Amino acid sequence: MYGYDSIVAADTPAAEVCGITVIPGILLTGIPAKDVQSRVKKCRGTGSVVAVQVGDNGFNRAIAGTTGVHILRGIHAADKRAFDHVAAKIAADNNTALDIDLSVIIFGRGRLRQKAIHRYLDLMILYRRFEFPLTISSSAQSVLGLRAVREVTGLCSLFGMDETDVQAALDGVGRVTDTGESLVKVIS
Amino acid sequence: MSIRPPTLREKRRYLLARIDPAGTLVEPKDLYYVVYEAVVSLFGDVAAAAMQPSVIAVEKGYALLRCRRGAEREFAIALSTLSAYRDCTVAIRVLAVSGTIESLRERIAALVPQDVALPGQDTGPVQEGTPGTGACGYRFDSLPVDAVVWNGHKVDVIEKGFKNTRRLFLTTEDLEIIHATTIPDGL
Repeated sequence: MYGYDSIVAADTPAAEVCGITVIPGILLTGIPAKDVQSRVKKCRGTGSVVAVQVGDNGFNRAIAGTTGVHILRGIHAADKRAFDHVAAKIAADNNTALDIDLSVIIFGRGRLRQKAIHRYLDLMILYRRFEFPLTISSSAQSVLGLRAVREVTGLCSLFGMDETDVQAALDGVGRVTDTGESLVKVIS
Repeated sequence: MSIRPPTLREKRRYLLARIDPAGTLVEPKDLYYVVYEAVVSLFGDVAAAAMQPSVIAVEKGYALLRCRRGAEREFAIALSTLSAYRDCTVAIRVLAVSGTIESLRERIAALVPQDVALPGQDTGPVQEGTPGTGACGYRFDSLPVDAVVWNGHKVDVIEKGFKNTRRLFLTTEDLEIIHATTIPDGL
């Protein structure tokens, strides 16, 4: 109805409902980097999308380079130095996505929303330079929190994303969870 | 002040938007304030003045909105940030943009099934059990009742009868006290 073929839902088993694929998601928040690595090892092979809440700069660099972490999320609430060019390079090399949470833009007002837009504008500068994957989420708790693809495109244009970027970001979950095992590997 | 000739009038665009969840009772004036707040909050006073957002009407669960030509994209973005109306969570889904209200009304007619009457309307034939009709089969604590207000998941019913008719406002506590499990699924 809104133009999606799959959703990521936290703590939900994988399923297919009315033609929509439900992908299980795991969100790790407030735990140190070492514990994140051990938790990620446990999740490996389950087909879950592992997302980690961003922290300070050192934490983000460590997590961006951790194999098995798919998404770093919560960049809108992080410090402005939390995600720099070094972390962006690590994320691009490790195929770790940065999440753009639109719920702050939709439900937030005033300074909260201004700060989020500023963070996303800054993130887009790094994205253009390093081309790490992006994902877009709405943190919807009901259908009223969901936005259609056209609405998402409009909202993302507020911080300089064009339609191509939005389409790539909506494909971001598939991009970061793709293990690439079926691809041909050239060895020479 | 005389009305300007058509060539001197500013061009406008009309937006058709669906109000979710279905059945939400929306007053056009209140919706206008919410829409205006969303526009001002996102784009500021200057852009809002240039955009001239306005609510033309709310019909059959759909809203007809107006803005200046060229600003419809920004207006739609602002509408997608609208999330609350009178302490209720709502969503405004823009369905179409047109140069005339008439074409949007035709779209509403195509979208709304003719045999379903929404609250506050008495147009067309209605199904059995539809709020506001005398033919409904709802029962409330073994009494036949008729739904008079239907706002999302909240339903107010009125006891049927010739005399001693009283209005029943159902709250969660009421339902727990009088064993709401006796109410049929339709209510």
